[in-house]
Amino acid sequence: MGARLHMQTVITAGVILVCAGLVLYPLFFLGQVALNTGDPTAWPPDQYGLDNFDGLFHSPGILLNTLHVSALATAMAIVIGFTMAWILARTDVPWRGTLESLMSLPYYVTPLVGALAWSALAAPNSGFLNQVWYAVGGVQPLFNINSPLGIAWVMALFEGSVAFVMISAAMKSMDPALEESSQVLGAGKFETMLRVTLPLVAPAVLGATIFVFAEMLGSFSAAAILGMPERFYVVTTAIWTLVIRFPPDFPLAAAMGISLFGVMLAMMYLYGRIMRATTYVTITGKAFRPRLMQMGWTRWLLFAVCVAYLVVAVFLPMLALLYVSLLKFATIFPKDIIWTLENYQTALNLGPVRSALGTSLLLGLLTATVGVLLMGLLSWIIYRSRTPGRGFLEYIVMFPQSVPRLVFGLGLLLGWVVMPIPVYGTIWLLLLAYLTVFMPLGVRTVSGVMVQLDKSVEECARVCGASWLYQLRTVTMPLLRPGLSAAWVLLFIASVREVGTSVLLVGPRTKVIGPAIISSWESSGLQLTAAMALIQVTIVFAALLVLLRVAGRMARIEGE
Amino acid sequence: MRLTTATSTVVLILLMLVAAPDRGAAETAAIQSSCPTPTEVKGFLTCADVDKAEAEGAVVYYGPDIERQIVAFLQKFNALFPKIDTKQYLREQTGRLYAKLNAERQAGTYLADVLALSDLAPAFDFIKKDGYVPYVSPQMAAYEPRFRSDPPGYYTWYTMVLAGIAYNTDVVSEAEAPKSWKDLLDPKWRGSINFKDSASGLQGAQWFMLRKLYGDQFWKDMAKQQPRALPSTVQQYERLINREDKIIGLAQYSTFLEFKAKGAPIAFVVPTEGLVGTAQFVGVVSKGPHPEAAKLFLDWFLSPLGQEIMSREFYHHSPRPDVAPPPGGKPISELNILFPDWNEYIKAHTQYVRAWNALSGLR
Repeated sequence: MGARLHMQTVITAGVILVCAGLVLYPLFFLGQVALNTGDPTAWPPDQYGLDNFDGLFHSPGILLNTLHVSALATAMAIVIGFTMAWILARTDVPWRGTLESLMSLPYYVTPLVGALAWSALAAPNSGFLNQVWYAVGGVQPLFNINSPLGIAWVMALFEGSVAFVMISAAMKSMDPALEESSQVLGAGKFETMLRVTLPLVAPAVLGATIFVFAEMLGSFSAAAILGMPERFYVVTTAIWTLVIRFPPDFPLAAAMGISLFGVMLAMMYLYGRIMRATTYVTITGKAFRPRLMQMGWTRWLLFAVCVAYLVVAVFLPMLALLYVSLLKFATIFPKDIIWTLENYQTALNLGPVRSALGTSLLLGLLTATVGVLLMGLLSWIIYRSRTPGRGFLEYIVMFPQSVPRLVFGLGLLLGWVVMPIPVYGTIWLLLLAYLTVFMPLGVRTVSGVMVQLDKSVEECARVCGASWLYQLRTVTMPLLRPGLSAAWVLLFIASVREVGTSVLLVGPRTKVIGPAIISSWESSGLQLTAAMALIQVTIVFAALLVLLRVAGRMARIEGE
Repeated sequence: MRLTTATSTVVLILLMLVAAPDRGAAETAAIQSSCPTPTEVKGFLTCADVDKAEAEGAVVYYGPDIERQIVAFLQKFNALFPKIDTKQYLREQTGRLYAKLNAERQAGTYLADVLALSDLAPAFDFIKKDGYVPYVSPQMAAYEPRFRSDPPGYYTWYTMVLAGIAYNTDVVSEAEAPKSWKDLLDPKWRGSINFKDSASGLQGAQWFMLRKLYGDQFWKDMAKQQPRALPSTVQQYERLINREDKIIGLAQYSTFLEFKAKGAPIAFVVPTEGLVGTAQFVGVVSKGPHPEAAKLFLDWFLSPLGQEIMSREFYHHSPRPDVAPPPGGKPISELNILFPDWNEYIKAHTQYVRAWNALSGLR
């Protein structure tokens, strides 16, 4: 027993050390470089001070841009998320199940591909939608996707899915008796929604708002594709621009990163406070039957709303990309159009498609597999063991949630270029980065199932004489399989669509899809990039379907 | 006697003046390559050990050119030497490329074999850091001294990148199109001009030359025009063809020729002051993983074979006099080109990056 405990303590201590190292090491460098007021390329710094922060607040344009666009995007994401959640969780809209599964599509499309597509759809002069507008007599552009509002729109469409997930979870667990009472007392359905449903899920909505706002502060792709050509920089795009220059300005970039991290940390703290302070009084021990509101003919209207969302977030963007990818050069003016399949041929020849796709899929597999093991162990230590320091470990594990991914990438870049171990420029640094930034996602997913497990099952194994590792392998892990496989798929998708952290860490041997698309958009033009993006979306989607099928088959075999 | 001395001095000066154009040729002929007897392989001369190069199995190229051109160019080399893989490459605009390369080397990761840049400031910095392997290609004799590093062998020009002004002919008439660089300051172009971003060496050359011609005020006035700064020449032309912008304030000639050949509705203006020019140059990187393959690749790159592909397929002007100008392009001798004084330019480089970032909205 003593030896077992000893083993458990050693492993736990090791895991805490590794996690703390992974998370804190890059941040230490970020802080150190941000305080460097001497030679910007020197390490260790020869002079320390606060000048970099000072400069930042004297010309706050970029910070204000960031807050502006993030606030707009959050407001839109919450409106979309709430509306969709209400329709799909509380009403009898037709094809509810199908619609609900289709809601994850914008997540797979990704903000990066979404931004490219919307740039083709709504650029002020050449966008298809504006062209239609001009054709019917419009003079000024109807949409300007390059404006802060346009950038926020794309961010909300493709990054706001988390709002939908969070709000609909709260709505599903709500006692419908309260809504029914409202209707019995004479309120209409929409009035009930506004006066009963909304206040009831208000804590969840507020939580989601803060969470989404923090996510938006750190978002990169849409602002890079749509903002930078229009002289509109946010903190993440400014950091990227400052770092990949000769001479690079690491200290100013690090100061910007630390400032953004500070704001996000405050948001996450607030989020934690709200979540802890709120009791979901609607979720009681009293049994209730989830019942949907009968909407009558308006359910078709709600159906149309859902379809409209899917059209603007998935179908229209994909069609726009398909169209652009068939052009010889990007133009929407009929007299200039020359059709070609050459872009697909060229795209398949390019490194990004050939090697980046392979690297991304390999990294996805590695991150998901190593991640599930690591994060499963972490969840067990945090939520099941009695190891001292597990509260601290939980804090460490959730910490990356408050660090913007690009800022984390900058920390890794700064931290690893000075290490004598040649890891920078290899796939291992990317794997390390992904495992760290996705730790909160993985641990949260596994722990969702972990807390539902009755401890007595594990205790039974121990009483019967199983060692800790044997018990983990034969009892805990099999019981956790649903949580572990969900975490596996989530980690795989999250890695394959990653941009922010990777963009500063890629090299000739470690090209991954997201940064490769950005690079192609910059240097090879929209039509070739559109072809690339479509090839990649298709292959990633196919890979995902194969994986889900294999997982399903395995589950069936085991079930038999 | 005094008269005779004076006369002979004049004659000497005259002789020197007359001989000046040939001085380069004389030096060119005198240059010694890295090996006494280069071997001829697949139609070009090289000092590399071809067997060793093939055993190394790959060459890794870092360059600022258009990505699809890099891929096509590397594939041509791979077709000649199928045992040397060329699938690994890194394409970024010069400033970014060099920042990445530096970060890798600082981290002790050596991935690049051959480095191409379009800005001399990072190249000088790289020489200081012993980043280049001095390798005098047997091809060097065909390059004038101004097209190679001093001493030769660190880097050699592989194209002259030239830029003027371009406009969309569907939107701007020939009469109203700018004729000189100064015409770009006309308020009618406000909000509709694009340039390159501060990672571009060509942009640095333009910033330097127009500042020299018209003083700091030129760029201060340009800031009022709210120009866009873009990360590549392709994006500049795409925005022009799409009518998102009306004018390219720094229009690369090679990209113009390529898009024009595709049928795009664009026109090119050689400003009255002259075109702005900079170099794209290439060298072998020290501590690279494939040193012999790098030398072989460089020799092919600088040979007429490699240079003709650059010119014929990618529309670049070769510094080699024996390579024809790109299809549809004028020969260098017919163009008035403003090249910066490189020493002065390098001194002003940090100032350029800061000024250009501020001018393009990053503040």
